[in-house]
Amino acid sequence: MENTIQLKLLAIGYDAAIMKVVDRLLNSHTGWNGVVAFTKAAGLKNIVDEKYDAVLLCVGVTIADEQVIREAVAIRHSATIVIRHYGGGSGLLENELRAALDHNNQ
Amino acid sequence: MAQYTYHKAETRGHDHHDWLDSKKTFSFGDYYNPKRMGFGALRVLNDDTLPGGKGFGLHPHDNMEIISIPLKGSLRHEDSAGNKAVANTGTVQVMHAGSGLFHSEYNNSADEIAEFLQIWVYPEELNTAPRYTLGRLSYDTAPNQLHTFIAPDGISIRKDVWMSIGQFANDVSLTYQVHKPGNGMYVFVVNGRFSIDGKVLSARDGLGVWDAGGIDIKVMDSDSRLLVMEVPMII
Repeated sequence: MENTIQLKLLAIGYDAAIMKVVDRLLNSHTGWNGVVAFTKAAGLKNIVDEKYDAVLLCVGVTIADEQVIREAVAIRHSATIVIRHYGGGSGLLENELRAALDHNNQ
Repeated sequence: MAQYTYHKAETRGHDHHDWLDSKKTFSFGDYYNPKRMGFGALRVLNDDTLPGGKGFGLHPHDNMEIISIPLKGSLRHEDSAGNKAVANTGTVQVMHAGSGLFHSEYNNSADEIAEFLQIWVYPEELNTAPRYTLGRLSYDTAPNQLHTFIAPDGISIRKDVWMSIGQFANDVSLTYQVHKPGNGMYVFVVNGRFSIDGKVLSARDGLGVWDAGGIDIKVMDSDSRLLVMEVPMII
């Protein structure tokens, strides 16, 4: 993925071992700057404190949590993309982000 | 009226590393094509070859149904839930990643290549308990028919997905009817040649069909093998 713009990403997920892998993947990717929140509360605090280009909803985040997080993002930063990340730092990560960014830019 | 999307084998994404050769029907890893983001709940269809002794080291997954079908050789599986198994050709390995696990998949042979299909389906529910199942495929012992190996009342990944495979002689004709109205069918030719609703598919071609109650299948070559994946069109 060619990127001259640095993407600021927040990944929220509750399995520490898996999220450490997601953290490593996000921050090893040229053009991505990732922050990981291991709890819903920490994620919501990040959303209040910072503006992200995209928020990734990862392992453990329930449908109810997703709704709360989406509302928190929508209130503060309507341009921020919120997407589900499936697969735990898998081969889908880059695809999910690119598809969401493409959709947003249309 | 039936709708079709046709993916010829040579249009797939292709990654070649010293440890893996992977041909991807749908966007995955470095291969990104916004028009190839899956087919309904079917998200990944990778056609992978591992050299002897090589494989995927320990890595995590969550909330994905991961089905591996060895086509040549065998895979050695280990996961953080304590499962250890060898999936030989003629078996199917189903890993329900659910709330998360780590696993590794290696070619079980030090010398011979292993070929397998790696299929990912979006789960119906999030964060459920991980599960691992190794099942047997019976296409060799009972040819000229489709054998359903994923089904709600068998090895199940979600209540609305069926997967079937069959080995056929030339000129056999059959019909596949969807089990659940509204589901789509993704057909993948493992070997040989087939006509699906009059469209000719060769080895490793794929065809997605939706808005249809079924498909007409005609075998056009000897020793032809077909995989039919019936999935919901809404994730």
